[in-house]
Order: sequence, then structure tokens, then C-alpha cells
Amino acid sequence: MPNNLLSLEMAVAMETEGENHHIVKALNLLRSRICDTGFIFKDSSDGNYSKLKFMISSSVAEACNNSILLLGPRGSGKLAVLDLVIQDLLLQYPDSISVVRLSGLLHSDDISAFKEIARQLCMEHQLLFSKAASFDDNSQFMVAVLKECGLAHKSVIFILDEFDLFAQGKQRLLYSLLDAMQSVSSQAVVIGISCRLDADQLLEKRVRSRFSHRKLLFLPPSIEDSQRLLALMLTLPLESGLPYDYAVEFNKRVQNIIEDKKFKEIFNKYLNFDSSVKHLLRFLFYAVSHMDLQTGFLSRENFETASSSIQRQPKLECLKNCSILELYILVCMKRLEVKEKSLCNFNAVMKEYKSVHDSFQTSDYYARNVCLRAFEHLIHRELICFSDNRGHSLSVEFRPVKLLISSGELYQGLKAYQSCPAILQKLIDS
Amino acid sequence: MPSIASKRKLRSSATTPLPTTASPPTRKSPRRCTTATPNSVTTVVRKILTDENHIESCELESKSVRSRWNPKDGEQLRMVKEVLHLSTAPSTMVCREEEQNVVLGFCKGCVEHEKAGSLYICGCPGTGKSLSMEKVKVNLRNWAIEGGFSVPEVLSVNCTSMSNTTDIFTKILGLHKTLGKKDSGTPLKQLQNLYSHKSPTTNMILIVADELDYLITKDRAVLHDLFMLTTFPFSRCILIGVANAIDLADRFLPRLTALNCKPSVVTFRAYTKDQILRILEERLNELPYIVFQHQALELCARKVAAASGDMRNALSICRSAIEMLEAEIRDSACNLNTLEEKSSSEQNLPTAPDFVKKQEFDMVRIDHMALALSKTYRSPVVDTIQSLPHHQQIILCSSMKHFRGSKKDSNLGELYKSYAGICKSSLIPPAGIMEFSNMCRVLNDQGLIKLGQSRDDKLRRVTPKVDEGDITFALQGIRFFRNCLQ
Repeated sequence: MPNNLLSLEMAVAMETEGENHHIVKALNLLRSRICDTGFIFKDSSDGNYSKLKFMISSSVAEACNNSILLLGPRGSGKLAVLDLVIQDLLLQYPDSISVVRLSGLLHSDDISAFKEIARQLCMEHQLLFSKAASFDDNSQFMVAVLKECGLAHKSVIFILDEFDLFAQGKQRLLYSLLDAMQSVSSQAVVIGISCRLDADQLLEKRVRSRFSHRKLLFLPPSIEDSQRLLALMLTLPLESGLPYDYAVEFNKRVQNIIEDKKFKEIFNKYLNFDSSVKHLLRFLFYAVSHMDLQTGFLSRENFETASSSIQRQPKLECLKNCSILELYILVCMKRLEVKEKSLCNFNAVMKEYKSVHDSFQTSDYYARNVCLRAFEHLIHRELICFSDNRGHSLSVEFRPVKLLISSGELYQGLKAYQSCPAILQKLIDS
Repeated sequence: MPSIASKRKLRSSATTPLPTTASPPTRKSPRRCTTATPNSVTTVVRKILTDENHIESCELESKSVRSRWNPKDGEQLRMVKEVLHLSTAPSTMVCREEEQNVVLGFCKGCVEHEKAGSLYICGCPGTGKSLSMEKVKVNLRNWAIEGGFSVPEVLSVNCTSMSNTTDIFTKILGLHKTLGKKDSGTPLKQLQNLYSHKSPTTNMILIVADELDYLITKDRAVLHDLFMLTTFPFSRCILIGVANAIDLADRFLPRLTALNCKPSVVTFRAYTKDQILRILEERLNELPYIVFQHQALELCARKVAAASGDMRNALSICRSAIEMLEAEIRDSACNLNTLEEKSSSEQNLPTAPDFVKKQEFDMVRIDHMALALSKTYRSPVVDTIQSLPHHQQIILCSSMKHFRGSKKDSNLGELYKSYAGICKSSLIPPAGIMEFSNMCRVLNDQGLIKLGQSRDDKLRRVTPKVDEGDITFALQGIRFFRNCLQ
């Protein structure tokens, strides 16, 4: 982080000098590209963007009702693609679309949902909204507006975010919406967004019968597709006002990085946990932000830094700051756990510590009160904690404690610890 | 089933007279040979329909050779989609004549004798109940006008739109327009009062209550009182309740059985394959051209009848199949353009564009229908499991092994141990417990496993939600999992 601040200051200094202006420009270009959903999703002709656009535009153009579900894990771009499509449609048909947005987290209750629909419709059509309108009034208002819009050849698009939350309870809102779409006079499109794959199984059978079973699946990209997206995002355009040689050299280096075996390892390891588009973009943004502004080119180290900053392990960082005595205490507690001693408290740890010292003749043997202070340190840092909340009257030495760090993490922490005594490694191995 | 209808001669001309059959007419589709052209098939089909409907055959023979459909014409496409849309009510309802006759007969009996009565209509969703009620209302009105009876007033109410279950009584009372009587109790009491005394001039009221099960309250009082209204000595209402449950009357109105005034039940059974086929063809006959290959329609009817018998599904799948055809046309247009560009740049591509031009898209074929069917009925679980990131697939696999025994749930800590075991045995470094619990939360969001709540993260209960067979099927192609899955 401080490195980045420094280079940013230098960048500002450079900018005022007028040199290396293009590096900052390239950085801004890359960063704005990563944040622009249009660049990412408006791609192939059989991608979800074009499919969704075709479905909604044909419903609007032919004035027929439709209902669609967008399904996919979180971070796969469902809402982003929908927003892009709606933006395009509002440009294409400026006066024939009104949009009503509801969220399952806020409006899953039928009464508040109808109120919100009435409020949004009032705002769109510049009518006065009365907060005191009852549930009946609101639902009749919605039906009346749908009828009027149908006569005027305007379509109403209902967007239901977190669709599975609307399917709790009696599903009255869903039933009324889908039922209103069955009449000839209304012209509406209902789009549900959900991360549950079985969202349509949650619907009651009456509601499911009225739903037209169109589902668009947003799957996370495969490893090859992710690599292709990475290459696409990081390739600078050759005609955008950046110096030609710089752009060509930049792209060549990016290509070398992508084909590097080590980079592929990092990349695959990163995506093995979560391969959604949002995760990938976060990785890219980090890496690009760490670009060295002096050279002006990306390097593999940028990606390594990004990967390690995102996949932090807080407990390991805590271990790095422990003293040797505290490490001894942790290892002793681990040994007690392995030996399956039922009671583990400070006295038991001290006994184990003494036996270790006796059998291995270590040089680090400290007095009891020093050890007690180290023990309390560990409790404050939450690497160990008391097993139960009772026993406040007992002193610290007698209360049972348990480890909050797993053996794998402890092992890794010891390996990463500078100047860790070899005896500890041996103890944890046995 | 009450047998009033079959003995009574129908005077309205809206319903076509049927031969007396006990079950809805099943139409045997004619056997086709593989060399039959679409035109010959439709000739045979229309001849069969002709016989059944007693319509002059010469009127239809002029239509028996139908023109080809041009799917690239936007206007024709729009007409086709409109004909298949759910909101377009067909002018004649086929395959429900028997049920409509029963209901109509019951209503006519009540109007003629000026007696109150109740009827309960049940059936799965999408079997034509509400649509039949619309037809019955129209027919009853026409019949009453023709026959000189007092035309009954109609109250159509959908019980989902009522916030309070007792609002239905207010609505019924509203129809009576009793002037001069001040509020002397709840609407229910007023109605009960009204029906206990003779009132000279009021008409009969036909009440059609849709989605009746929304009126069921804990003490079932509202439903009970509603049906009891018809038992009063001077009651004027004909009550028709529509719902999905077959045994609603038995379960929720037991006291009525004791009083011997249980409503009669008309069941709308789910459509069979032949009925679905017939309804689709009836709708498509309004168009002057052929849109679907007959095999495609038959496949659709067969699948939908086997799955649910729901007519809405069938219509929606047909529309979906048309969209597949549209997509194919668009793709081939793109390919045609790229091929033409290529051939204009290189002069030696002789036949490819010509061949593509010759391919005519004029009908929805069976492969379009198969694609539409698979999109509707296939669950996306297998696709999603195949596209999960690697570690999440390992978690699913380890959960499958873990629950293979008789245990039905376990907690996050134990699942982590079995996950770490699989990772170690295949020499992959396992994720830390925090990363693991994040991934489990993602899987929970997608509905693949279910996570319970607990104070301690490791003690949260995990329940599998996906069938073991689905996981095996999805992951069998990946070499890594073949060992784990045994």
C-alpha cells in the first residue's frame, strides 16, 4: 500500500511535468474498462445479453406479455446485464417503456410491495401518490394502470430482485402480477432475478402454471473464457491517443505474462475458489492498480501481490507477531489436543511445557508468571479462548481453554515464522 | 356427477351439440407414413374435425390446401404469437363441453326454479376452469334472455384480491342494493337476515368465487358461512366455488354433510395428449397457413400431458419453439452475410451461399420443439454443478460421500474434515476454514446445500439438497472426480 501511494505521488508529479502522461492515461483507461459493465458483457451474439435483449424487445414490440427468470450465482452479472438491456431499450423505445423495480429484501410483504408499485407508477406518470391508500386501492390502481398502459401501447417492465424471497408466504404479489398478465388488456414483462437455481420450484402450483418458464442461466465462465476475458481487458487499443510504440510494447508484455506458466498457476489457483466474474474483476483491478508507474508496464509480480492481498489469512498474520514463548504455548496446547486430554487449562499447559523442556533440553524456559502473561496475551489476541462462559469466579489458571487456530494454520504459521526454533517444528510434526 | 345436463335439451346455440358420450371425445390421430406431406396431413385432420363438429365439409375443403408460412414476415409472426398467447381466449372451447354442460345445466335449473344452490369446481391449474366459467356466464345470460327468465346478476370475485376474508360478504351485499335498511350488524348478519325473509323482486345472483382456498381461515368460519348462505329458505344466490383441491368440500365443510347440503363437485381433469393436441390445432386453424409440423405438435402434447396436463405450459412451449426458429433464422442470416462477404473477397466459393439461400425456413420443426421442451423441463442443476469452480465441486463431492451413510445432516466442522481429507489424498492444498465457510455460503445461496444457523460457525448444520445421482452425473466427465465418486 505505501508503495502505491508513493508511485501515485510520483505520478502526480510527473503529470504536472508533462512527461509519462501516457502511463497515467493508460492506467485510467484500464481501470475504467474494468469498471464498465458494458465492455465486459456486450460480447458475443449468443451470450446472455443478446438473448435477454431479444426476449424483452420482442415482447415490447409485439405487445405480448412475458415472464423471465434470470438465475445464477452471486456476482455473475445478472443485474448488470439487465441494466444494460434496459438502458438500450429505453433509448430504442423512449416512450413505450416504464420500469418498476422491487427487491425481495425490502418488499417481500404483499402490502408494502403493492404500495411501492403504486408509488413508482405514480412517479413515472406524474400522479399524486397518497400514503394512506389501502391494499385494495393499491392493487386496483395497479390493474387500472396496466389497462391504461395497454391501451396506450406502453409496456411496464417489473423487475423483481431476490425473487426467491418473494416466494415466501402466500405469494399474493406474484399471483396478482402473473394473473394480470393473462388478460388481453395489459402489457407487461415480469423479470425475476435470483441466485437460487430452484427458484421456480418454490412457486405455488397456481403461480408456477402462470409463469412462462423462461429461464436464463448465468454461469461463471470457464478457465479458458476467463483467460480470454483477461487478455481482452488488458490489451490496450492502438488508436486511442496513446503513443503507438508504448501500446504495442505493453500488449506484448501482457501477452508474455499470460502465457507464463507461473502466472497460469496463480490464476488457476485464484479461480479455483470462486470463478465468478466479480471475483475476476476484483483481481484485475488490484493488479492494475499496483502497476509500476515508473516503467509503465504490468508485470507478473503485480498479479502475485493482488492474489495474496485478496486471499489474506488473518490468523497467520496474527501468528507472525507472536513471541517465541507464545508459540511454545500454542504448540503445547496442540500436543495436548492430539493426546486427547479432556481438560486443557493453564496448569495443564505448564505441565506439558515442563515435560517438553525436560525431554528436549530447550533453552527457552521461562518463569510461571511470565508464561501467564504470555497466556493472557494470546487470549486477548483471540488465538485461544475460554471454552465456556461460566467460571468467571475461577482465576485464569484454572479455566478450561481451547484453540481457535487449526493445526494446518499453525503449521503454516510456524513455517513462515522467521527465526522459529527448530524444536517447535519438530514438535508439531510428531 | 349430477345428471341434469344430459337429460335437458340445450336451447342455446353457442355450444355445439355433441353425441352423448360419457367422456370427452378422444380423437385418434390418423396414422401417417413418412412420405406424407404436410398438406395431406392437414386434409385428413380437418376431415376428422369436420365429422365431429357437423360443419359442412365443402366449406373447409377450400381451405385444405394451406399456404406456406413466411416466418421472416413480421406481421405473420406477430399473428402467430398472438394466436398462441395465453391471454387470447379462443372463440370456441373444445374438450370441455361436458363439464360446461354440467355447470350450465345446474345454473339453468337454479334460475328456472328460483332455488339457491352451490357447486364446487376443482382441478389442477391450467385445465380451463376460469375460461369455462366465462363461457358459462355468457351462455347463461343469453339463455335467460331468450327463455324470458329474469336475468341473474353476476358477481365474479377472485379471492386473492381480498385483504380481509369477510369482504366477500360485503361484495354480495353490495349487489342486493338494499335501500332503507340501516347497518344492523356485520354484512354476514345482514345477508342472513335478508335470506330468511321473503323478498319479492330481487333476481338470482350468480357468484363465481375463484381461488376459493384463500378464504380458508383457521376456524373455517368464512367458507362455511358462505356455503351456508345457500341453504337459507329464501336465499337467492347460486354459488360456484373454484379451487385446486379435490377434497376441499370434504375437508373444510364437514358440517354441511351433516345438514345434507354439500355442494356438488365437478372435476376438471388434467388434459390428455389428444385433448392438448386438439386444442392447439383448433387455435392454429384460425391462421391461413401452416406453422408447425404435426410431429412437433404431437411431441409437445405428449410431453406436456405426461408432465402436468397443463394447457398454459403447452402454449408457452409452442411460443418458445417459434422463438427457436427465429433464432435459427437470425443465425443463418448472419452466416449468410459472412459467407457472402467471404465470397465477394475470394471468388472461388461457388455453392455455399447458394445452398444456404435455398434452405427454406417455413415451419417449426421437431428439433425446435425438442429444444424448447428441454429448456422448460430440464433443471439447471447439472449445468450449474459442471460450471462451479473446482473447490466447490470438491465440497459437493465430499458432502455426497459424507451423507452416503444413513446420516442425514452433519455440521460444518465435520464436512471440513472430510473435504480436507479428499484434498490431501489428491495432493491439493485445502482451503482454510474461513474460505471453506465462504464457499459453503455460496453453495447455500444457490440452493445446492442448506446451512443452518448457529453461534459458532463450525457447528452450523449442513443438509444436502441435491440428489446424489445428479452430482454423479454432472461430475462423471471430470477425471479427477472419478476416483472420489466411487
